[in-house]
Amino acid sequence: MSLVQKGRWITLVALVCLAAVYVRALAFTPVERLQGPAQKIFYLHVPAALWTEAAMVLVGLAGIFYLFLKDPRLDRFAEASAEVGTVFATIVLTTGPIWGKPIWGTWWTWDARLTSTLFLFFLYVGYLLLRGAVRDPGLRARYAAVLGICGMCLVPFIHLSVFLFRTLHPQPIILKPSAPSLPNSMLATWLFSLVAFTLLYVGCVTQRYALSLARAAQQGRSSEAGHA
Amino acid sequence: MPDVPQNAGYMMAAYIVTAIILIAYVVSLYRRTRNL
Repeated sequence: MSLVQKGRWITLVALVCLAAVYVRALAFTPVERLQGPAQKIFYLHVPAALWTEAAMVLVGLAGIFYLFLKDPRLDRFAEASAEVGTVFATIVLTTGPIWGKPIWGTWWTWDARLTSTLFLFFLYVGYLLLRGAVRDPGLRARYAAVLGICGMCLVPFIHLSVFLFRTLHPQPIILKPSAPSLPNSMLATWLFSLVAFTLLYVGCVTQRYALSLARAAQQGRSSEAGHA
Repeated sequence: MPDVPQNAGYMMAAYIVTAIILIAYVVSLYRRTRNL
């Protein structure tokens, strides 16, 4: 089985899991009394946000290792992770305001968590634009690695912004030093969703990596034909 | 005890938007990798 086929299968399993998450969240998970049904947006928003941050950390780590090892596989992985991270960031930045309108009474507010997450999205877009703008593969990988490392440095700041600043954004209720403050039925739905988003990340990154690999091979063949 | 807020429309909108974004990306990946 080729790499792209493996990626497709993982993505398919992830989509089936996500469909099951939809059914579980919408039909079998209790409605929160104070926030109402809008609280269920949390089951998509938070796993997508975690993988948006994790994808940028992985882009940065791949960038650090690339600068030392000059291994093109690391650069390809960083590119794939950044593209999938951009998609997850789009989900975070659309589901967040949809939750904010009924709960806060406003679609958007310029508080630390929201603004820094928007900045991360622009970093992702900038990263992909940079890769498209530089033609030399070695130079492109080096510039992208540096930008990826900058993005990685932003992630802890985003995650801790709810503690560092006075912010409207809720404090963590799962990833915190004490035990998660969620009933078990809600926690199970959230964990199931996290598994689905993890599989989605792995499946999409595998496919995107295979695509980069094929494009590099194609460019190698065409440059060989040009020299002949 | 306060009434539960009636905001299911926002929930449905978020779930639909997420599905659209994910399916659009998965289809775009499929189209780009189709000829590999």
